[in-house]
Amino acid sequence: MFTRDGNQVLLDLEAQELELLVQLYGQLHELLAHDEMEVDADPFIQLLSMDGPTSVPQDPALARLFPSAYLEDEEAASDFRRFTEPDLRRKKLACVRDVLSQLQAFESVLALDSHQTQNWLLSLNDLRLVLGTRIGVGEQDEDEEHTAEQDQDLERDPGYFLYDYLTYLQGTLIDLL
Amino acid sequence: MEIAEPVVLTDIPWVTIVWNDPINLMTYVTYVFQTYFGYDEMKAQALMLDVHHKGRAVVSSGSREEMERDVTAMHSYGLWATTQREDA
Repeated sequence: MFTRDGNQVLLDLEAQELELLVQLYGQLHELLAHDEMEVDADPFIQLLSMDGPTSVPQDPALARLFPSAYLEDEEAASDFRRFTEPDLRRKKLACVRDVLSQLQAFESVLALDSHQTQNWLLSLNDLRLVLGTRIGVGEQDEDEEHTAEQDQDLERDPGYFLYDYLTYLQGTLIDLL
Repeated sequence: MEIAEPVVLTDIPWVTIVWNDPINLMTYVTYVFQTYFGYDEMKAQALMLDVHHKGRAVVSSGSREEMERDVTAMHSYGLWATTQREDA
């Protein structure tokens, strides 16, 4: 969990948590980087080009990370996405890469500077958005027919435990800010 | 020396709307409103509660360019935000 020591934010992790986070961040990295490759295979062209995708990602988790900026104006939404999504994706990837490198170098308690703290906060939130979308958090509210049994099924979903853990971890960080 | 007044093309400002979602923590949304917009805790919390209970809240208004900047910032925090004309 995250704790504070004066101006510094500290992060202490059990071996099991460390392993879990390395896995989850690895997957988030893959999700963001894989799609980046598909948009444009040539990284040099990608660097020079301002051109990004024009439509909402098909993967619901990516669609949650990169939502439309205009609800009722498709053309404006496409233009906005084309000019902003590549940069947003790069920023999210940079956050994830920074946290991954901290995790890979983890020996004992991490002392985070404000930049690293921010990277943890944003990337933990992105992780929760992806995992929460995958396991369907909130969907059960719209389904009035759902039963206690279905609730139990959701709670038994291993993804639900991970999601709960990430919520707890992010919560300990927000409480310090 | 004469200083040119900015040309106002329209009186109708643009707004940034943040939408409710079941994943973002209430404390996190409040933190984002305080950090990015510089709102005090009371205002940030009131906006967060609006998002939570009414499904959406107007969090800022201004020119279209400013609102697109705010929307991009909200997306970088993982909040679901859109922009539109105030009267739309």
